[in-house]
Amino acid sequence: MPMAPITKPDQRDLFRGALEMMILQSLRRQPMHGYALVQHIKQRSNDLLQVEEGSLYPALQRMLRENLVQAEWETSASNRKVRTYRITAAGIKHLEREVSSFEQMLRGINLVLSPVEP
Amino acid sequence: MNWFRNWFRPLFARRRIYDDLSEEIRQHIAEKVEALIASGMSHREAEYQAKREFGNVARIEQSGREAWLWPRVESILGDVNFAIRQMLRNPGFTATVIITLALSIGVNTAIFSLVNALLLKALPYPHPERLGTIFVRFSGPNITNGDLRTNLDGQMWEQLRDNVPALTSALTAGLTSGGSLQTAGQTGQAGGHAEYVHSGRVSASFFDVIGLHPLLGRNFSPEEDRPEGPRAAILSYSLWHTAFSSDPNILGARIQLKGEPYTVVGVLPRDAITPLDADIYTSLQASRNGEGGGTNFSDIVRLRDGATWQEADTQIEHAFAVRTARFYSKFPGGSISYYTVPLQMGQTRQLRPEALALMASAGLILLIACANLAGLTLVRVLHRQGEIATRLALGATSWQIQRQFWIENLLLALIGGAFGLGTGSLALRGLLHLLPEHFLPVASVSLDGRVLGFTAAVSLLTSIFFGMLPALTTRKIDLRSAIANHAVAGGGIRLRQALITGEVALTVVLLAAAGLLIRTLVHFETLPPGFNPNGVLAAKASLDDAHYRDAAAFRKLMSESVAAMNQIPGVEDAAVGLNLPYERTLNGGLTISDGPQAGHQVGADQIYATPHYFSTLQMPILAGRDFAASDGPETQPVAIVNQTFARKFFQVSNPADAIGHIVDKTTRIIGVVADTQLSSGLRDDYTPLTSEETMYIPAAQVDQGLLGAHVWFQPSWIVRYAHPIEGLSAQMQRALSGVDSNLPFSGFYSLNDLMNTTLANQRVEVALLTVMAGLALLLSALGIFSLVANMVLQRTREIGIRLALGSSVRQAMLKIGSSGLGASALGLLLGLILCVFALRAMRSVLYGIGVYDAPTIAAVVLTLTAIAVLATMIPVLKIARVNPARTLRED
Repeated sequence: MPMAPITKPDQRDLFRGALEMMILQSLRRQPMHGYALVQHIKQRSNDLLQVEEGSLYPALQRMLRENLVQAEWETSASNRKVRTYRITAAGIKHLEREVSSFEQMLRGINLVLSPVEP
Repeated sequence: MNWFRNWFRPLFARRRIYDDLSEEIRQHIAEKVEALIASGMSHREAEYQAKREFGNVARIEQSGREAWLWPRVESILGDVNFAIRQMLRNPGFTATVIITLALSIGVNTAIFSLVNALLLKALPYPHPERLGTIFVRFSGPNITNGDLRTNLDGQMWEQLRDNVPALTSALTAGLTSGGSLQTAGQTGQAGGHAEYVHSGRVSASFFDVIGLHPLLGRNFSPEEDRPEGPRAAILSYSLWHTAFSSDPNILGARIQLKGEPYTVVGVLPRDAITPLDADIYTSLQASRNGEGGGTNFSDIVRLRDGATWQEADTQIEHAFAVRTARFYSKFPGGSISYYTVPLQMGQTRQLRPEALALMASAGLILLIACANLAGLTLVRVLHRQGEIATRLALGATSWQIQRQFWIENLLLALIGGAFGLGTGSLALRGLLHLLPEHFLPVASVSLDGRVLGFTAAVSLLTSIFFGMLPALTTRKIDLRSAIANHAVAGGGIRLRQALITGEVALTVVLLAAAGLLIRTLVHFETLPPGFNPNGVLAAKASLDDAHYRDAAAFRKLMSESVAAMNQIPGVEDAAVGLNLPYERTLNGGLTISDGPQAGHQVGADQIYATPHYFSTLQMPILAGRDFAASDGPETQPVAIVNQTFARKFFQVSNPADAIGHIVDKTTRIIGVVADTQLSSGLRDDYTPLTSEETMYIPAAQVDQGLLGAHVWFQPSWIVRYAHPIEGLSAQMQRALSGVDSNLPFSGFYSLNDLMNTTLANQRVEVALLTVMAGLALLLSALGIFSLVANMVLQRTREIGIRLALGSSVRQAMLKIGSSGLGASALGLLLGLILCVFALRAMRSVLYGIGVYDAPTIAAVVLTLTAIAVLATMIPVLKIARVNPARTLRED
């Protein structure tokens, strides 16, 4: 069978730091498992951001290793076995630092992109 | 302790982490499927979409695992594991690669050990960079231009010692015949016992210059180095241990050396290394007379603190002004300058070009091996196209595929390198065994850290060289066609042919070089010896002994010892001579007293001999007579000359016409003998063996001057026998001891031994280059063979079709065979062109043949053609067994 090229849907990929920030921010509101995280980010962004489900888990593994989040197997309300992630103190600190530097960068970008005055 | 937990937790809990990850991904997909079904999808659709949207689970798990760092190592370990499995699955390929590497890296390791010991390793003395020696540079008409280590005479030594304040200078005697040491009665050892010891004669400052402090006692004082000063000796540790039982009270002891009492003033440490490597050292006491009348000394200098080499050179130039002026008066228009060079460079100057040429040859072997291995791995990569395509399709990245191949190559190279180190150390041991004692100017050649590093680097480099081509090839693999056509593509043939061409060309160069060296050695070994070297045993003893400075005592020893040797049953003839054929001889000046060159001062080799010297050697006397017992100190001085002498100085073509001529006013020529081969001292072109003007003098008429030569040379007692005599050497020793119980032989030699010692350089060169050329030939044959064999394998189907369509087996064979033969022929041609340039560098080491030697070239062409045809024919013959019907059915 000839192989069809695997093409990705046309959408903006999130850069790694952005995904981490959103995960941490979401977990700060309340502990969640992976599937719920995807849904949460989708809803909160009014479907503007689509988290590539695949990239979520490697990111969570990295954050686990860096002790930004903790994970626990629990049983969900729908009686499903889920692995729930909680943000740690280190995670909160990391998030705040990242957000502030991100905002600074955004301000900078905005200034540059602002319309040229006549 | 967070970091600790974070880094080490994976070690213990890795399995669980991975399981958790897999499990939560499974749960994720399940939840999604459920949600999709709830939104109205069929179960099948939902499953399909959930999986599609999630992406490649295996890959996501992998990248999730990589967050834990260890997986990186683990995946490399996995690759290594896979590589080992691949290697075990193809034992033939693996063995070929490893053997090829072991041999080629082994050669490089062995040769590099030599280069390292000779040229790279610092001399084993403190601050070796401050050690030097003096060179002289000649240029101008009528003289041999060039740079060489200068020897000093007594006057130059005094100038150097006293007028060059930038240096501490030391002197050693160039040649030293050693002497007998009597150990009886000194340290309570019972009985008279004399043994031969290697002695080194050095100036007072010698041990200071090489930075050696005695274990016991002190170095020589300036007083002890003064001519006629007190005789002092410094013992090596091993002599102190063996001959004096490590006597702690040895200092101040009087020992009997060379027939004279010496006072022991020092003992060297156990691991002391000196350039002379002697058993015992005595002070040289150099003067302007005797030995110091000629340039018979070598110098070693150490730069004093605060001084520079430039200052030293200026001071030397000034100090040697008298000698320089003498040179200018002799060679108007010439130029001469003295200058210092680093000691290591000075000591290894003659061996340096040879060592580098050998290293280059070893490098060629490595290149040839790499070409072969590149060809072999290329074939393997092509064979594994299917595997590669499958892995790519399953989501492996190109980098992962590449990494796999590099790891396989690296692993092979490392294993090959390890074996190479083994073969290298064996080869080195064999090589050192081949070298005569004191052949190399270094104390030891070892596999040190630098050699290990070199071998490791060469192994890595090799893996890169031979892995590069195949790695580049994998990048071009077309997924679709590779999966579609399971048959291996015939690609890479061109490339492999080019590789074969290259390696054959290099092999041609090595073969030609080895051929020329062999021809040179054969030239020397087949020179007419001028005597019969078979059936003669020679024994040497040092007569550098106070007792034998008296001519009468010397005459008595000669006649009585020869008479005693003649008593040994089975001995047909016996004699003594200062030197034998093949040896370096004494060069002396003499005056031609009559004939066309009357009054000319000439140089000639001078050898004293007892009667029967010529008959013992079976050296034909062409005219006149042998020395007789009646030629004594009181009778007419006589001499026998060789043919060259007669032709050159009396200008006679008939030997008989030389009889009656006079040299040195009174010495009458009474005979002419055939020329023999000698190690030249007269000529400065370093010809190892030559027949040059030689004058023989009766031992009974030797004067004080010639007796002085015993400081440098040990005379030889020779006996001729018709049948081998049991225990001959012991009987000769007994015969000599009967005349002088304190005279030990230093060694026994056949005339062949002497020739081999003189030709050691040539023999070593031939042995090394022949081995290397043989290796190159073997590798090339292997390369051609595997190319053709592989083509036969690949094209079996095509051949089957051709045969079925009516092509003859012969045509098929020709078609396949021509690929190997064509590449070889091109390589041969290219190699011959390379030879035109490369072999020119060999001119200085060739004797008796030219650089472009037709028989050598013909032999190279024939050998290579034969090997190429053989390597091609063996696999091609398989074609005859191809069964068209079966090959076609197989598909």
